[in-house]
Parts: sequence; structure tokens; C-alpha cells
Amino acid sequence: MKSISALTDFYYKELYPKLQELESQRKRVRFRVLLISAFILLFGIILLGTLAKENRIGFEFLVFIGIASVGLIGFIYKYLSADYIQSFKDQIIKPLIYEIDPSLHYLKNNHVNSYQFQASQLFSTPDRLRGNDHIKGVIDSVKIEFSDLHAQKKHKDSKGRTSWSTIFQGLFIISEFPKHFHGKTFILPDSAQKTFGSLLGNWLQSKNFTRGELIKMDDVAFEREFVVYSEDQIEARYLLSTSLMQKILELRHKSAHPLSIAFVGSHIYIAIEYGKDLFEPTFFSSLLDYKIAMEYIKTLNMTIGIVNELKLNQKLWSKK
Amino acid sequence: MSVSLIIAIVIVIILVFMYNSLVGKKNQVENIFASVDTMLKKRYDLIPNLVASVSKYMEHEKSLLTEVTELRAQANKPHVSDAQKIALDAKMSAALGSLMVAVEEYPDLKANENVMHLQRSLNEVEEQISAARRAYNQAVTDYNNAIEMIPTNFMASAMNYKRKEVFVIPENERKNVNVKELFN
Repeated sequence: MKSISALTDFYYKELYPKLQELESQRKRVRFRVLLISAFILLFGIILLGTLAKENRIGFEFLVFIGIASVGLIGFIYKYLSADYIQSFKDQIIKPLIYEIDPSLHYLKNNHVNSYQFQASQLFSTPDRLRGNDHIKGVIDSVKIEFSDLHAQKKHKDSKGRTSWSTIFQGLFIISEFPKHFHGKTFILPDSAQKTFGSLLGNWLQSKNFTRGELIKMDDVAFEREFVVYSEDQIEARYLLSTSLMQKILELRHKSAHPLSIAFVGSHIYIAIEYGKDLFEPTFFSSLLDYKIAMEYIKTLNMTIGIVNELKLNQKLWSKK
Repeated sequence: MSVSLIIAIVIVIILVFMYNSLVGKKNQVENIFASVDTMLKKRYDLIPNLVASVSKYMEHEKSLLTEVTELRAQANKPHVSDAQKIALDAKMSAALGSLMVAVEEYPDLKANENVMHLQRSLNEVEEQISAARRAYNQAVTDYNNAIEMIPTNFMASAMNYKRKEVFVIPENERKNVNVKELFN
């Protein structure tokens, strides 16, 4: 496993020529998008100006013009930046992943399938599941795969208009778990205890019957951050040894985003809610920016490193 | 008249709730202890096989092997109390721990397929026992809290419920010092 500093070196040395190419491509695309947007806005203003003279503008028309131009600009942006995004993934993200571990498979337009997302039972059934940047492979003889996911639910209001709400957006990771287990165990972010204090929060948590029994864990810091539900309280503690609880806490602090974990059917499912699409190129800031480079490197390094970090590669148990 | 009746009914309901929650907590402790016991038995069942496989190689650890065998014999006697089981478990964990350290010094043993399998099984049982111990301790803590805290403590003393002892978590499970972090 490469260290973060080795990967940073790789990013700025090996990938530098490609980064420079992409950087000029980014500037070209940005210039075109801004130019076309300016034209569209100018055209809109002129249109409004001429119509205003004739006193024919209603409020609804104004809103329509606004929405239409924003939509048009969005469409043009998507069209113009598609090539740039694809080449960024081929020339930067792909080599970066192979540098971390050459045996991994990367498919930029694939994602973790909906069957696996639902098998985790962490979230409700989505009506639409999108994603990209699918990475799959075997690390230390442990199978692991992950991708960006965006799961959404469809809503229809009384007028028949549809809208979408987000169930989950972020990284979704699936790995084999080294211990045998039979029931289901869920670790969720502790929102109730944080908002309502420990007494009322505990009472609210214990009312979540669909996920099984509420399990009080013997690690205070872990308890403050997470809430655990399981069908079998001894098994939950068997899965969550004192050391694994600490490692999950470390992962929570490293990722700095809400973390949910499910142990279902010999697998561990980890969902990190970033609330945005990861591994995408920047548009308005430079790709050579250190902060941006670190975001790609750290996220990849952390996710691929999960097998080692959570000691999923330990073969101390009779499971083979 | 009706007001005092309502108050009386409310008091009775509260008393019933308190009584039931105390009985529930006591039964929870007993249930989990039964699971602990099952897993301790599972470990005791592994021991004869383990002792037989390693004793051929281990010349200098005869006393350790005898200790393990004796502890197992004690645990298998009829009418062992819960407190004795807890004490025997602590001794057994310590003895098996030193045995496993000793195994590391015999390359022949480490390469032996049978010993390796036993070691993995023992490891798994140890982890299960540790989980069951932690579950038991949590249940006992809930129970002890209930019998000492107001208002259930009055009910508990009327029911003659006594404090229960928790398992002492072995030293190697309690410390989670990350050596890497120390040098960073």
C-alpha cells in the first residue's frame, strides 16, 4: 500500500504532463461555457428589453426566461465538459488507482448495482440509482468493491408534478467480513442522541423496532457517535470487538462525513455520505491545486485502505 | 372518592411496571449468562484435543498443560456456581493465553495443520466468549442500576434482589494501545 506522500509525488511528477494538458483543456472549456452563457444572458436581456417597451411582460414570462436560460446553460456545460471529464478519469483517476494497487479494476461509468445497495438494508428502496467510478478487486485476498452512488426517491404532488429527493449520496463500499455471523447488525450515525440529549435520545432510539434490538456498546466515544441495532446482542459484540469499534471511530474521523455500516450475510457494507459526486474534475479551480489533489488522493487511499484499516484481512478465525 | 380511586389505579400500574421491568432485567442477566456458559463449554471441549496435539512437542510447558487440564476438570464438575464459573474463566483465559505464547516458540507446532486449525477455533471461541462477557456485563450493569436507583430500589429490596458481579475483562482486551501511534 502506497503512502499518501508517495501518491502525492506520483500525482505531481508522473501525472504532471497530463495534468497540464487537462488544465489547458479545462480553461478552454471554461472559456467556451462562460462565453456562451454570456451570449445567452445578453440575448435574454435584449429580448426582455424589447418586450418591456411594448409592455407585454408578465411575471410568469420572466420566470420562464430565467429557467430556460439556466437550463440551456446547464445543457451546454454538460455537452462541452463531457470530454474533459472522461479524459480526466482516464488520465488521472485511473493511473492513480493502479498506482495504489495494480490488480484493481476501474470502470469509470459503472457503479455498485442496485441489488447490493438494497442488500445492505441501510436505506429505503430507491426509485433511481445512479453512480460512477466503480472500483473492484482483491486486496490481501479480501474481495472489495466500491463506487460513487446517488440513490433517489420519487415524489408526486397533488398536481402530478414529480420531484426527487436524495436517500443517499456518497461512497458505497462492500467487502467480505472475516468472521462468521448469522443475524443482521447495523451501525448508524447517532442523530437522536446528539439532538435530544442522552435520556430522550436513548428512548427515541429504542423505538426503532424495524432494525432489531438497540444495543448499548461499552465504548463511550463510539456510543456518542453511533447507534447500534442488532438481531443478536452477543453477535453484535462479537462483530464489534473493542478494537474494531476504535477503528470505525478512526475511519469516521478520517472521512469527516456521516458513516453507516451494515453486517448482512457474510459481508460488511459501508456507506459514507459525502453528499456529492466524488472523483470529478474541478471546473473553476486549478487541477494543480494542492487541496484538490489531496482530496482525490486521500479519498482513494482511505477507501482502498479500508481492508487494512479495519483488519478485514485477518485470518485468525476458522472462516476460510 | 373517584379521584382517590384513579390515584390508586395509577400507583398500582406504576408498581406493576416497576416489578415487570426488574424481573425482565433479572431474566436478561440469566439468559445472557446461559449464552456465556454455552461458549465457555465450547472452549472447554476444545481443550483435550489441543492438549493432546501440543503435548508431544512441548517438553518444558508440562506444568502449564496440567494446569489447563485441571481447570477444565474443575469447570466440568457438577454444581459449579456462577461466581465460580466467572473465576475459572479468568484463570483459564490467562492459562490459555500463556500457552498460545509458548506455541509461538515451537516452529514445528506452528506449521502443524491440526494445531493451526485448533488455534483458529480457539481464537474464534475466545472472541465469542469476550463478546458474551461484554453483553453480560452490560446486562448486569442495567440490572445493578435498576436495583440501586430511585424509585426501583425500594421495589428491588422488597423483592430481595441483590447486586450481581460483572466479569473482569482481561488485561489484553482492555488495553488498545496502538503502537504505531506512539511513535508518530
